[in-house]
Formats: sequence, structure tokens, C-alpha cells
Amino acid sequence: MLSFILRRLVSVAATFIIVSLIIFFMMHSIPGGPFDANDMPVSEAVRAKLMANLGLDQPLYVQYFRYMWGVLHFDFGVPYQSPGETVTQLLSRAWVPSLVLGGLGVLIGAPLGILLGMAAALNRNSWIDYLASTLATLGLTIPVFVTSMLLILVFAVWLNWLPASGWGKPERWILPIAAYALIPLATYARYTRSAMLDTLNRPFVTVLRAKGLTERRIVFQHVLRNSAIPLVTVFLPMFIGTATGSIFVEAMFRVPGLGAYFVSSIETRDYPLEMALMLMITFMYCIAYLLSDIVYALINPRIRVGGGQ
Amino acid sequence: MKLFNKIVGTLAVATALTMPALAQTTIVAPGQSTTGTYMDYMKTVYDRATFAELLQVPIATFDKEFELTPMAAESWSQSEDGLTWTFKLRPGLVWSDGEPLTAEDYVFALQRAATGGYDFAWYWDFAGGIKGWKEVTEGTADVSTLGLKAVDDLTIEVTTVAPKPYLPSVTSLWYPVPKHVVDKLGDDWALNVDTVVSSGPFDLESWEKSNNSVVLTKSDTYTGPWQAQIDRLEVDPSLGAPEVGLPAFLAGDADYSFLNTGQVPVATQRYPDGIRKNAVFATSYISYDLDSAPFNDVNVRRAFYYAVNRAELTSTVLKDIAIPAGSILPPGYPGYNPDIAAEAVFDPEKAKQYMADAGFANGEGFPEIEIWYREEGGYNGAIIPAMAQYLQAQFKDVLGITMNIRVLPGADWMDGLRNKKNNIFIAPYEYDYLDPSNFYGIFYNGGRHGYHIPEYDALVAKADSESDWDTRYKLYAEAEQIMIDQGLIVPLVHPITIAVISDTLGGDASTPNKLGFTSLDRLGHYFFTHLTKQ
Repeated sequence: MLSFILRRLVSVAATFIIVSLIIFFMMHSIPGGPFDANDMPVSEAVRAKLMANLGLDQPLYVQYFRYMWGVLHFDFGVPYQSPGETVTQLLSRAWVPSLVLGGLGVLIGAPLGILLGMAAALNRNSWIDYLASTLATLGLTIPVFVTSMLLILVFAVWLNWLPASGWGKPERWILPIAAYALIPLATYARYTRSAMLDTLNRPFVTVLRAKGLTERRIVFQHVLRNSAIPLVTVFLPMFIGTATGSIFVEAMFRVPGLGAYFVSSIETRDYPLEMALMLMITFMYCIAYLLSDIVYALINPRIRVGGGQ
Repeated sequence: MKLFNKIVGTLAVATALTMPALAQTTIVAPGQSTTGTYMDYMKTVYDRATFAELLQVPIATFDKEFELTPMAAESWSQSEDGLTWTFKLRPGLVWSDGEPLTAEDYVFALQRAATGGYDFAWYWDFAGGIKGWKEVTEGTADVSTLGLKAVDDLTIEVTTVAPKPYLPSVTSLWYPVPKHVVDKLGDDWALNVDTVVSSGPFDLESWEKSNNSVVLTKSDTYTGPWQAQIDRLEVDPSLGAPEVGLPAFLAGDADYSFLNTGQVPVATQRYPDGIRKNAVFATSYISYDLDSAPFNDVNVRRAFYYAVNRAELTSTVLKDIAIPAGSILPPGYPGYNPDIAAEAVFDPEKAKQYMADAGFANGEGFPEIEIWYREEGGYNGAIIPAMAQYLQAQFKDVLGITMNIRVLPGADWMDGLRNKKNNIFIAPYEYDYLDPSNFYGIFYNGGRHGYHIPEYDALVAKADSESDWDTRYKLYAEAEQIMIDQGLIVPLVHPITIAVISDTLGGDASTPNKLGFTSLDRLGHYFFTHLTKQ
């Protein structure tokens, strides 16, 4: 197990370096720089001064090594968009709303989805099964900005129960979290249903039934545990996907989170922030998959990857 | 879930209990950009924090009828030779920290702008024509050679390279910078709520950098004209997108919202008295690379000029969001000449004739072209893509040519324009200061499009420095006639923005001007100080 984790950590580091190279050079190969989008261009002299201030007058490879050297020391530079703080400060500030939203969205949506999926699997072809399928299909096919709009329309505009958008007061969290929660809910409902059905048809369940175990024990102690593997596969990556902010949900509900920075850092050629965001996501996905693999092994000893002892 | 509800409920009650009972008037308004760096208009215009300009008092500004109104200045005068302007400041103006606001703060603002890499530096050369500006920004002359002087605490002297009869209107973008604070903190003074000081009608209460939203409060130290009539102004740029703004408006969370085309009918039906239109002083036009085929032929350019049915374009595809443009100047803008605008007619026969004269009868032999426009938000984002498709069909139909469309990010489009990487563009331009020289300057001596038309340049140069308004008006008309005869551009449309405002808003700023337009935050100083709320 330990050597497995070590090997995976080495591959995480390699992925990290390769991704950083690709992102860095792709980012700089996009035409234009941070001072080129304005209608009336700054003069050459002014531009040169601005570029030199940001170290952009250096050759690319020098810029890359400088940046990565900083990264090794947890210094991700100063975002061009917000010169009064470091990238780390910006992320720790803007990430909080995204984390609250995404985290609560997954933590609420996933259990609900699992329950719904279980109910559907145990009552196959009943109304609850159809309801679960319908919800799951809608949740996965309707874009989140449409569901956001519908939530606003119904709960803010028609019923006037909740504010349409904004942040800062807890009642303003409810609609965006609901919009967020729909995705894990739908995904989990589908995965759980099919995994459970699959497990329920396995011979060992028949054996358990023959041994006279109660249906409840069979489901909760055996079927659920054996159905958990595909759920683990989706859980952590999904958590990261939502916890790093959704551009759409955050924009629709005016949440001052991280989502918008993914777009604005590319638009404004905010290189330090763009790099930091990409590296952060890469790192988190690597760790998430590593953790998933470890959890697999814990749930099911047969999947000790690489044939561990 | 129950636990969650309990937590949320408890938090909500706690928040409600700790909120003081406020009897203040607060206006919640959409902002313009969700990113912003410095709360300092004189440091950066394009990347400034939301409404940084409302914190400071300009030398002069415009009211709803676009009349220039003195603000920090009490009066101004021009010297005999027309080269020197003297601005007299109003006594008693102070910074929000109690320090007096002096002529030095204005002079310092521009001196720093000239040397510090100000992204709006071109304005003071192009619009202001301040003596020595170019040399100082390019680093070839010392800042002390600038044509700017604080004669005493209340007197500013500005010297220009040529007579600039419209200089006072240029000063509507001249804000002071607190020298006493910058001396201590440098440019960083404008990065923190605690260190920002203001000289204008509003103070900064808070600033959420993640979406560039701000809360401004009525200043209690500002003694100049146009004091705020509301206590608080909350500006959230996320509300700037009509898709977010209108739902918030409908739910009572915002006091006004801009509308996209799809929303106009619904909003008009529900709030017939709340609809406000604004003629943005802007023009979308076609420009060319005059040096490369096929647009190096004036006949081709003339053909394009006559091939656009502007009335159909604005009454169908651009319904409610644009009006036909016959001139580079929008209607209502100083110097607008209806006779010039009337020349831009749709005349397919003439267009076909010009094509034939150029050797492309019925479009035969005409190369396939590609028109470039840039990705835009706001009103341009609603207009340009649809217009490009209309033009594509129209040119096929009238001229028999194939025109492809390409959309580019802003930086790439500018690069294409500046370095002549393509030969035909859709270009939008919005005014920077209220004088015809602004729009004619776009094509003057290279300018934005690399045009060099000696007769045009001579007329514009003469008009720019002419102090008699009627003569200027005539000279600009002659210059524009050259643009038409040479087919330098095809004026297409002027955008109109539509907003819906709450019936709780009142005051002069909430009603239309004589032309029927309401500028809303386009005239920020006027709007937010002449707005009341019940």
C-alpha cells in the first residue's frame, strides 16, 4: 500500500510539471498581452514600462522558471487583476464562497441522490423509480443556468420567498446551493440505482437471502457496500469540480466566488492567476484520484492496485 | 437537512437581530465591470474599480442635457492666443480626511499619469493636446516641462500645443489625486478601503474585489455642487448583465436594470412608465485597409456605402437596440449635421453601378472577403453579431459578393486593425469627450485605422483649433464630406440602451432629457447625485 501511494505521488509530481509546462506556454502563445485589449493602445514607451514592471520583458523560459521557483515556495505571484494582494491571498478570499456553495451543494446533493437511487433500485418500475429517473435525466440534461433561472423565477420573482441573488446573508445561499446540489443529486441517483441493481442480482445476495438475513441488513450492510465503488469514483472529482466554483451558478446568483476568475484571468491575460488556478486544479484532481484509489482498496481488498500484498 | 435548516434559520435570525434599524435610502445599481484594480481613475481607466470616479470631483462635468457644468472649478478663461487656459477652483473643497483640495492635487494627478504608465494617457494628448504630453509619456522630456501649473492653491494653468477651444469639456475626465496620501503610500493608497480618500459627492464604505462591487455613502465633507440626495449606493457589476439584473429587479433586489432585446417586450408591458432609453454616443461603422485590394479602390468603398439598408436593419434585426447611423457623429452630439447624415441612403442601383465601375459588375471577379469584429459585451455584444449576419446577406444580395464573418477576442482584433492583418472590419467607437474633434480624431493622421488623407487631416486640424463654433461646424462638415466622397467608412448604427427603473426612484435624473433619452450611469456624476428614492 505504501509503495503504491509513493509511486502515485511521483506520478502526481510528474503530471504537475507537465501540466504546468503546457499551461504556461499555451497561455503565452495566445496573442496579445495584459495591456493590448484597450481601444486606444498605450504608447510603446508606456507599454514597455508596464511589461518590465511585471517581469514580462524576460525570455519565456526565464519567466517559467521564476514562476515555478516561486510555486515551490508557495509564492504564486501577484495577480494583475488585483495588485494589492498575492494570488494566495486572492484565492483564500474568493474561494470561501465557492467552497461553501460547492461543498454544501455536494454534501446535500450526494446523500439525497444516493437515497433516491436506492429507493428507485429497491422499488424498480414503481412511481419512485420513474420519479428518480425523471429527476436524474432533467438534472443532467438541463444546463445549470437554466435551472438557476427557474429557481429564481419561482422562488424569488413569483413566490417572493427568497432573494433573487446576492451573497452575504444566509438566506441568499439557499437558491444557489439548490442549483448546485441538483448536479450531484442527479448523478448520484443514476449511479446508485444502476450499481444497486447490479449488486442485487449477484449470487451472493441470493445466498444471504437464503441464510435468512433481513432485507434491511442485506441492503445496508452488504449491497450498499458492494455498490459503493462506482460512487467513490465520482465523488471526489465531482466535489472538486463544484468546489472550485461554477462560472454559471456564481454569475447567475452574484456570488463573489472563484468561478469568474477562471474567465477573467484568461481574458485579461492575468498570467500569475491563470497559472495558479490551473495548477491548483491539477493538484486537487491528482490528489482526489489518489484518495479514490486508496478508498477503493479500503472498501474492497480485491482492488489493491498493482497487486499489493 | 433539518439541521441545515436550523443552522440557516439561526444564522438568519442572528443577522436580522444584529442589523441596526436603518432609515437610510439605499439604491442598488448595476455596475459595469466585474474586475477592477485601483480605486483611482487617474491610475487606470480601463481597469479601475467600480465607479472610482464618483469618489472624486472633476474640474467640470455634463448634466442631462449635455451642458458642461463647472464642478471643482468655479470658472475658466482662455488666453488671447488661445493656448493657455486658467481654471479657478472653488474655495473650501476638502478631501474626506479633512485636508484641503488644491490645484496641486489636479496637477499632480496629470503629472503622475504622464509618467506612471496611465492607460488613458493618450486622451491627454489626443483630446487635451497638453504641451509636452507626448514627450513626457515617451520619456524624452522631464515632467516639469508639461504644460501644467498650479499657480496658487486655487488656480490651475494649462497650456496646449494648439488652441483647444473645447478643453473645458475635456476636463470632465480630470479628477484629483490626493498628493498627501500618495506621498505616504504610493499608488497602493487606492487598493484598500481604509486608505482611499475622496473629494467628491460619495465616500467609499466597502469594496468586494471578487466581483468589483462597492458600497458608496453620501459624503459629509463634500461642499461642491451636486451633493448626493441618497444615503447609500450599492453597485454590483454582476447585475450589469440583464440576465441577472432583471430577475433581481423583478424580485425587488435592484432599483434598475438594463434590458436585453428579449426582455424589452416583457418589461415594457409590465412597467410602461419605467422604461428608459439612452442614446449612447457611439457609432458602429465599417472600416477598411485602404492600401490593399479590393478596398484600395474608392468605387468599391462607395458601393459598400450605398449597399446598406440601415432602416431595415434597425427596424428588424436590431429592433429597439439601435438607430440608423448616417454620420460618424450620433444625433444630439455636438456638431451633428443632419444634412451630412442624410447622404447615407440605401441605393442598390448606385451601389451596383459603383461595383461595375470598379470592374466587379454583379460581384463577378470580386474576391471572397472576411469581415472581422471583436467579441464584446454590453450593447455592442447585442448589436454587432446580428448586424454582421445582416450585412453578409445584404452584400450578397445587393453587390453579389461573398463575405465571411470572423469574430476575434479584443486583443486580436486590435492587433488585426493596427497591423492591417485584414482588409475590412466592423468597428464600434464610443465617445470619450463631448466634442466633434473626438470622433473626427479617430481618422486623423493615422489614428485608429492608419488612414492618411491629407485634405481630411488639414480640415480637421483647422477645425480643432478654431474658436468660432459656426466655422468649426462647417469645417467638420467639409471633413466628413471627404470621408463620404472617399468612402472611408460606412456608418452603420448608433446603439440605444434600454433600462427599466423602479417607480420608487425619483429626482431629475430619473426622467428623460429634451431628446427623450435618459443617460443613467453613463453620466455618473449627474445621475447618482440627482436621483432620489422614496
